[in-house]
Amino acid sequence: MEALRVENLCVKVNGRHLLENISFSVEEGRIVAILGPNGAGKTTLIKAILGLTYYETGSVSLFGRLFKHNNSQTRVGYVPQKLEFDRTFPLTVSELLSFTIPPFYTIPLPATHQNKPDIGSLLEVVGARDLMNRRIGSLSGGELQRVMMAKAIVNDPRILFLDEPASGVDIEGQERFHDLVKRLNRERGLTVILISHDLNIVYRFADDVLCLNRRLVCTGKPEETLTDDVIKSVYGEMMGAYIHSCHDHD
Amino acid sequence: MTMINEFFTYPFLQRALAASVMVGILCPFVGNFVVLRRMSFFSDAISHSAFAGIAVGAVLGIDLSISSVAVAVVIALFIAFLSEKTGLSHDTVIGIAFSGAIASGMLIMGMLKGYRADLFTFLFGDILAITGNDLLMILAVSILAIVILVIFLKPFLQITFNSDLARVEGINVRLFEYLLFLIIAVVITISLKIIGMILVTSLLIVPAASAKNLASSMKRLFILSSLFGVVSGVTGLIASVYLDTSSGPTIVLVSIGIFFLTMLVKRTAA
Repeated sequence: MEALRVENLCVKVNGRHLLENISFSVEEGRIVAILGPNGAGKTTLIKAILGLTYYETGSVSLFGRLFKHNNSQTRVGYVPQKLEFDRTFPLTVSELLSFTIPPFYTIPLPATHQNKPDIGSLLEVVGARDLMNRRIGSLSGGELQRVMMAKAIVNDPRILFLDEPASGVDIEGQERFHDLVKRLNRERGLTVILISHDLNIVYRFADDVLCLNRRLVCTGKPEETLTDDVIKSVYGEMMGAYIHSCHDHD
Repeated sequence: MTMINEFFTYPFLQRALAASVMVGILCPFVGNFVVLRRMSFFSDAISHSAFAGIAVGAVLGIDLSISSVAVAVVIALFIAFLSEKTGLSHDTVIGIAFSGAIASGMLIMGMLKGYRADLFTFLFGDILAITGNDLLMILAVSILAIVILVIFLKPFLQITFNSDLARVEGINVRLFEYLLFLIIAVVITISLKIIGMILVTSLLIVPAASAKNLASSMKRLFILSSLFGVVSGVTGLIASVYLDTSSGPTIVLVSIGIFFLTMLVKRTAA
């Protein structure tokens, strides 16, 4: 089944096209990486899909239904690139996650919501159980990222959007994070749309890649699509791909 | 002790005490959102916008509390609407609405003949002049506002934390933003008679800021802020009666004293 279909999406600001005629589809259960230079419209694309940015023309469908948040039946998870929040906010990790769990009203109801996810177990999945009672403002970049991942999956989404989730995190943290994404994809059949600048990550973790530079430059499997010419057309003539074949070193 | 007994003897002091407790709970409870969302300028604008409402009420001969609430609500929703529809920053929109409301209020006031002491009650507040009807209105608004905020605490906090994430998670951000603006406007205007237009924002912000210094969770934030609000209100009221000072400023100064104490505790703990 198609998890996501985008058709002729155009985003324009002050007469300037940020995205032009973007059309692609993503099969359920795939990890798709979106690649492109700064200013290519990667974040704009994800925000337009999620309805956070207005788009002039085009349509977005999730699992066969036109997607409009607020009345959507499709559960969606999102980890933004740069999370703007007040670091002095006295909010603990467990409070943050509990606020994400429906219903969005707080009236004691007789045992109808006993299927609420257990926050401790959820944090265990992302390797952040020990952060449960910590204030979110006190978390490091990597810790916050894992908590935001837990927040994104708390309602068991069918599709996850990750906007450069590993930016500002060390290499070990990045590896752990992408391993987590791969595991969730494998165990839960989660469709993942991931923005990344790191070709290594794209090759190792993504099933498919979309190259973007205001327009869609390429789509396909990374090993077939990311040729030297494609990299140059996405990033410019100064860039290129060096494909290192794996072999034993003496 | 005699002075404390007076609070249980004289009806006007009993009403003042009841009002200080109710407003002490309500204003900081709402004030937490004002502090977390950095809406202090908005709150100030609303309190000054109520001035226009008072002027309109005085000219039309309607209850000043009702007219001030009505105009404050209109201005609050207008600010929310204009911020959403234009690309202007919140500060700019609030500044425009604020200036317009004050100027209109002053213009309308100029049409009134003679000196109106009741209007100046709203400027500086007078908790000792609270009537039974005022108390009932404060009680009704307090219960309604707190019930709404508690029931919908999750979406309000989600939006305060990050509105994009709230939107993706299916929360009607626009609805809750407008609702919060409305609640803040109503709470501010019903508190005007107690603490006055000039100082009412302090009652929202200072106990909430004090609580933020010490709270390690949202639950503690809301509890502490209301506790500090009640302590400021009651202590300030008793002190003002004992020292024969103006109640409103005394209450605010007590709450500021509590703020500095919490800062000291926070520094010592760190």
